[in-house]
Amino acid sequence: MKTRSLATAALLGLAAAFGVPAGPARAHETLHEIVRSNAISVRVFESDGAVLADVAWEAWSPADPRNPWQRGRTDRKGWLAFVPDAPGRWRVRVIEETGHGLELFVEAGAAVTAPAPAAASPSPGAAFVLRPLAGLAAIGGVFAALFLLYRRRRPGP
Amino acid sequence: MHLPDGFVSPQLSLPAFAVAAPLWAWAVRRHFGREATESLPVIGSLTALAFVIQTIMIPVPGGTSTHLVGVMLLALLYGPLVAFVCESLVLLVQALFFGAGGVTVLGVNALAMGLVGPVAGWLVWKALRHASEKAALFLAGWVATQAATLAVAGVLALQHRLDPGYFPVPIGVTVAAMALPSLAVAGVVEGLYTVFALSLLRKANLRGIDA
Repeated sequence: MKTRSLATAALLGLAAAFGVPAGPARAHETLHEIVRSNAISVRVFESDGAVLADVAWEAWSPADPRNPWQRGRTDRKGWLAFVPDAPGRWRVRVIEETGHGLELFVEAGAAVTAPAPAAASPSPGAAFVLRPLAGLAAIGGVFAALFLLYRRRRPGP
Repeated sequence: MHLPDGFVSPQLSLPAFAVAAPLWAWAVRRHFGREATESLPVIGSLTALAFVIQTIMIPVPGGTSTHLVGVMLLALLYGPLVAFVCESLVLLVQALFFGAGGVTVLGVNALAMGLVGPVAGWLVWKALRHASEKAALFLAGWVATQAATLAVAGVLALQHRLDPGYFPVPIGVTVAAMALPSLAVAGVVEGLYTVFALSLLRKANLRGIDA
C-alpha cells in the first residue's frame, strides 16, 4: 500500500512537472529590463516576453517621496521612460487595473550616464522553464523533508 | 489575482499578517503533524500542481488574462486550513523565486486566495453535495474563485479609500477589470478543474485521501 501510495503521488508530481512548459501558456509574473542614458527607460513584460502595453505607471523622485514625479502609460512595446533630475533611488510602479504590476527601485546618478551591462537583461525564454522548476523543487523539498522527518522519527513496533 | 508589493499600505498588510500568523500556526499544528505523514505526498503533489497552474495565464478578450488558483481540491480533501497553508507556501515561493506577488503582501494574498476562497467553496460543497455531487464540486470551484477575487478587490477598494497613493486606480475600474475574467473564465475553468481532478483522484484510490 505504501509503495502504491508513493508511486501514485510521484505520478502526480510528474504531472505537475510536465505542466510547466505547456504550449502557449504564459507565466503570471511581471518582469522588467532597464536601459540608462540621460533618461531611464524601463520595459515591462511577462516571463514569456509578452509586453505590458498601455499600462499606467508612476515614478517617484528620492527628493520628494510623497508625490509622484511623473505619471504615464507604457507604450505599445511596454516601455516607459523618464529623465531623473536628482540622484538617488527612484521608485517606479507599474499598475495594471486588475491589481497586478510591479514596484522597482532604480539608482540614478553616476550610473545613469553609464550604459547598463547587457547581462542585466533577463532572458524570458530560460526563465520560463527554469524558474517554475525551481519553485517546484522548493515546494517538493518542503514536503519531502517533512515526510522524511516524520518517517525517521516514527517509533518502532 | 495576487497583489504585488507596494500596492497595499502597512495599515492593511500588518493587520493581515496579524490575522494570518496565528492561523498558520494553528493550521500547521492541527493538520501537519506526524499523523499526516501518509497524506503528505498527495498534499505536496497537489500543492506543486497548484503552483504550476497559477503560473499559467488564460488569455481573456480585451488584452488581459487570468489564472486558476487550484487549492480548492485541497480544501475539499483535507479541509480549508490545509488549503490555506499550502496556498501560503505557493505564494511565498512565487514571491521569492518569481517576484510575483510579494512578501509584504503575503498575509493579504494568503487570506484572500488561501482562506476566503477555499472556505466559501467548501461551504458551498457542504451545502449542495447531497443534491448533486458534481454540481456541488463545480460550484465550489466557481464560488471559491469569485470569493477570492472579491476579497482582493475589496482590499484594493479599501486601500484606494485609505490612501490612493498606494493604489490609484478607481475601484469601479478595478472591479470591472477583475470581475469579468473571474466570472466568465477563471471561475468556470476552476470549477471544471475541480470536478475533473477530484474524480481522477478518487478513481486512483490513493492512500491518504478520504473523500
